[in-house]
Parts: sequence; C-alpha cells; structure tokens
Amino acid sequence: MIGVPGTGLTRLGLKLLAEHSRVAPVVALDTRGWISPEAAWETGVLPERLIVVRCDDFILWPKVTSALLEGVQAIYVEVPARIKDQDLRRLGALARARRVAVAMRSMGNGLPSGIAYLRLRALGVTWEGADRGHGKLKKRRLMLEASGKGVAGVTRRFEVEDEGTDVMRVVSDVVVDQTRRAVG
Amino acid sequence: MWSLTRPDAPLGEPLLIVDDRVTGATKEVLDAGVSLGMPRREAEALAPFATVMVRDVGDETRRFESVVTAVEDLVPRVEVVSPGLLFVPVAGAVPFYGGEEALAARVAKELDALIGARRGGQAFVGIADGPFAARWAAATAQLGEPNVVADTISFLFGLDLGTLRESMGGDEMIDIFRWLGISTLGDLARLPRAPLASRFGNPGVLAHRLASGEGPMVDPRDIPLELGVEMKFEDPLESLDAVAFAGRDLAGRLLKGLRAAAVAPHTVIITAVALHGPPRERVWRSADPFTEKALSDRIWWQLQAWVETAGVPGGIVGLSIRPEDLSWEGRQLGLLSDESSMIEAERALARAQALLGPDGVVQGRAQGGRMPGERVSWSRWGEPKADLKRDPGAPWPGATPSPSPALVPPKLQPIEVEWDGGMPTRVRMGSRWEPILTWSGPWRLSPRWWADERGADRYQLVTSVGAFLCVVSEGKAFLAGVYD
Repeated sequence: MIGVPGTGLTRLGLKLLAEHSRVAPVVALDTRGWISPEAAWETGVLPERLIVVRCDDFILWPKVTSALLEGVQAIYVEVPARIKDQDLRRLGALARARRVAVAMRSMGNGLPSGIAYLRLRALGVTWEGADRGHGKLKKRRLMLEASGKGVAGVTRRFEVEDEGTDVMRVVSDVVVDQTRRAVG
Repeated sequence: MWSLTRPDAPLGEPLLIVDDRVTGATKEVLDAGVSLGMPRREAEALAPFATVMVRDVGDETRRFESVVTAVEDLVPRVEVVSPGLLFVPVAGAVPFYGGEEALAARVAKELDALIGARRGGQAFVGIADGPFAARWAAATAQLGEPNVVADTISFLFGLDLGTLRESMGGDEMIDIFRWLGISTLGDLARLPRAPLASRFGNPGVLAHRLASGEGPMVDPRDIPLELGVEMKFEDPLESLDAVAFAGRDLAGRLLKGLRAAAVAPHTVIITAVALHGPPRERVWRSADPFTEKALSDRIWWQLQAWVETAGVPGGIVGLSIRPEDLSWEGRQLGLLSDESSMIEAERALARAQALLGPDGVVQGRAQGGRMPGERVSWSRWGEPKADLKRDPGAPWPGATPSPSPALVPPKLQPIEVEWDGGMPTRVRMGSRWEPILTWSGPWRLSPRWWADERGADRYQLVTSVGAFLCVVSEGKAFLAGVYD
C-alpha cells in the first residue's frame, strides 16, 4: 500500500484485519505511535483481538516483524523508510511460507517490486459531508490503482467508498488507457 | 496418585502410570528420580525396572466416584479436578464441624476408612486459602495428619518452584527461573510482575499470581440461567454411548452460548436426572477455561461413573450443564476461534514484547471522552487491564463525531493554518501549502476549568491530500488526527 498519510490507506489496511480478527488476534505494527484502534474497531476489527505493536526503531523493526509473522495470522504493518529491500524480501518470503495475511504500508518511497501479491497506490481521496463550516465529514471515496499478480498483471483503477462503518464498497472499477483517461 | 490404585496393577512391583507424562509412580520409581508431570520417555529412561501402564482416566473417574460421594456426604458441593484430586469449599462447613482442624480430621478419617479397605489407597487432606495452596497443602500433608495452613502466603513462599509445573503445563519457564537462581515461590513472588510479563507473557504473570497467593484468574459472577443447557429424553437412556453422545452435544451448545457472551467456564455443574431416584449432580473444576474437548471428556467420565455404578436407576431422562466461575474476557476464544492460532499468536506477541519491552505491545479499550486520543484506554498486552478513567457508556456531549481519525498523535502537533476572515484557507504540509477545499466546524471544546484547561475550537479540514482534525486554541492550530 503506497500513499502519503491522509490518502486513506490506514483505515483500508485495518479493515483488512477485520475478518481475521474473528478467528485469532491480529496486529497493527505502528512505527509512529499514531494508529488509533478506534478507527479499526469502526471497520469491524474485534476490540479484544486487536493488538498494537509499537516499534520506532528501524534496526529492531525487521526482527519484530519476523517474530510476529511466525505466529500471527494477519498483520497491518507500517514499513519505515530506512528498511533495506533485502529485509523486506526476506519478510515477504516468510509471510508467504507462513501463509500470513500482511498489509504493508510504506512510510517512504514505496516497496520493492515482486514482494506483494497486490499493490495498491492511493491516487486521491474525496470527502463528503463538510461544507464550509457546516455538516461533518461523512463519506469518503478513495481512488486506488491496483497492480500485480492479484489483478493478473493488468493495472486497474477503482474507487472505494465508506462511511466510517465496517462496510466498504467498491463503487467503480475501470481499466485505464495509456493516456490515463477512463475508457470503460 | 489415584491412578496407582487401579485393580489390574501388579501387586508389590514398581509402577509407572503415564499418558504423555507421568501421572502416578510408586515410591521406588520416585526414588529413582522420576517426578509427576515428567515426560514419559524421560521417566522410562530413569526407571527401566518399573512396569509401565497407560492411564485410563474414565476408569479412574468411575472408581473415584465413591471417594467423591463420601466427601460429599460430609460437605456439599465437592469440585472434582481429576480422579484423585478434589476441592471442597469449606467456609460454610467449618462452623458446623467446630473448626478447620476438626473438619479436616473428619474428612481424613472418612477417607481412611473408605480407601484403607482398598489396595494401596492413601488419602491426604489439606486446608488453605485458594485451590492452588490447598492442593499443595494436601500434597505436603502426612498420612492421617491433615495439613491445615494458617498463613497461606508464608506456606506458598516456602514451596519449591516445581509446584508450578502442573499449573503451567511445562518445564521450560521453570527451568529458566531455576537457571536465574529462583528456587522457591517466595523468590518468584518477590520479583516485580512487569518484567516477568514482558519476558514470559501471560504464563509469567500466571506463575507470579500463583506464587503470590492470588490464585487463578477467575472472575466469579452471577451467571444468567439461560447460559446453562439441558436436554430431556422421552425414552430413558441406558446406553453409556448414547448418554455420552448427548453430553458432547450439550458441551458444544454450552460453550457456543458462553462464547457469544464472551466468557468461558472454569467450573461446571453436571446434572443427570434418573427415571427413578434423585438427580445426581457433580461439580468439575479446571485451572484453564474448559474447551469443548475437555468438557466433553469430563462429561463422559462422570456419566460413565454414574452409569456403571448404577447411580442413575432406570436410565437418564435429563441431562444439564450449568457454568459457574467464568474467566476474564481477554482469555476467551471466539465462536470461530482456532485455539492453536491463539497460542501461536500469544507466543509471537511475547517474543515481540521481549524485543521491544512491555510498552511495545499494547491493547486499547474504548472509554469515554470528547477527543479521539481520550477515547482509548491503553494497557500493556498480557497484563491486567487498567481501570477506565471515563465511562464509555455515559453521554459525551461535544465528542468528535465518527468516522474517527485513523491516525491520532500521542500529543497535539503544532501545524500552520492560514485564515481569512475566520475561515481556514491553507494548511502547511511539510514544505508546501495545501489549499483547504472545505471544512466543518468550529465545534467548541468547553474547557474543564477545574482541570485548568483552556477552551478550544475543533475543525475538520479537507484538502486534496486528505482530511485532518485540527484544534485551535489561543490562536494556535494543532493537529489532533488524520483521517487516513
């Protein structure tokens, strides 16, 4: 998952833990101490099953992540900018071997190619509900670009909509041409 | 060591009773270095001269039933842990028998009379505060001389660390303690609990609690009647297999209902109604919450004991299970929980905690509050949860509405916002200014003057790169959350 803070990927990543939390504990690996479990609970993660692991030390980060991959079934991981590509590839291989569901959120310039089954890049987010001092934030739409094996190598763009509840909807799914204009 | 009394055991020979581990051994075998709970392979190597027999818990339970009944005739509500070990809550019976010593002597005498007639039977009685201490009071009692412990804490502090093996289900942690120079429960109890939690996780906390005399993490409370399950049979069930099948079904139903209520039982009361004669009732207790398999086993053993001793004349026409002590919510498994996944996850989290320290692995609980940062109560994973500072069920007028920001800084972060006529126009994001597309607010955050707070206004600011929760106080803007 690639995108700057604000583009909506944290909530999306936490949402991916919701289903797994019905079976076993799930973990959010937080590198800044900012992840709020309240948002995760709103997306359907069971409160008693969500564990937050805080690691701001990029040297310890690979060890902590690999320890978690050895026993946890689903993790949302913030990846610090200074983590080496070979460490990430090793962790990717461990996750595949252990069949762990991992959502990696890059805090830097992205993730090395080939480690993710599905790569999501946030293109933008729009909010509804607030109107020059009136109302409140109510509904958002994320524009995402998906690539990798999960979409059979075809780059796709789609929008996801949610209202702060555990329901998220894919509201459009379009393939883009080389000029990056929607054609269908 | 009730298992040693089995009728097919050869007389006068050294005996070793095992399942995966040693559950019983005669004196010669114990003198050779074997201890209860030791892995079978290790015990067989230490005592190659012993006759090894595989444990049959169902048969032991059936034969132990007479002992349970004898104790129950003296004190009601006997709790069976396993064949050979039972607990009796004595608070009500002590005044009746004229003191703890008198009660213990009476129980010991009755058991001596009952078991003495059988081959090799011996009964040990101990009284102390809590099941763990009472179990070891009995284990350290002399034959025919009940061990009534006056000061439970002092008694526990003098016990060897190996007494924890049964409750911890393994030797690994105990070996590490010994390697660190900790040899008694007193040595362990004198250690601070937090470092133990960070190094050993939940088992470390449990060991410390037991050593400190705090007993298992059981939360007795009123159980709604509907959580119990029962089954009635028009045709009395006389076949053990048919009754046991019904029992397994009941166990599944009971645990399913309890999971929905986020609790698990440490104690259950099994009741069987016979066609003729009074209902039979038995309490079973476990240090860990009963799993479906563990509960089905207990029901099977108990029904086998009743059916084969003609305790339910005319067959069984009703069967019910009622839960008693329930454990903390954090230890419960969900409806679809996979126990092995839970254990693996706990190990992984304990390793992460060992790397990061106790504050590196935390868990949040919802509490009341107006700002997103206030609405989460954090506690270290593996430790008892902190008391909530603010009631989440109370009305919180002025609370920031949902959806909540997914990122909340631990402290408000100063940001630069440009205003035009009281309306926000731009916000500084790193080195660039982002125009504010729209916003909501201000929502006044009334100060709690008694806590020396200042008033503030909250805004939700929407830019092309996301939405933010902003607090403005005394002309300065702060970031309170990112709607990421």
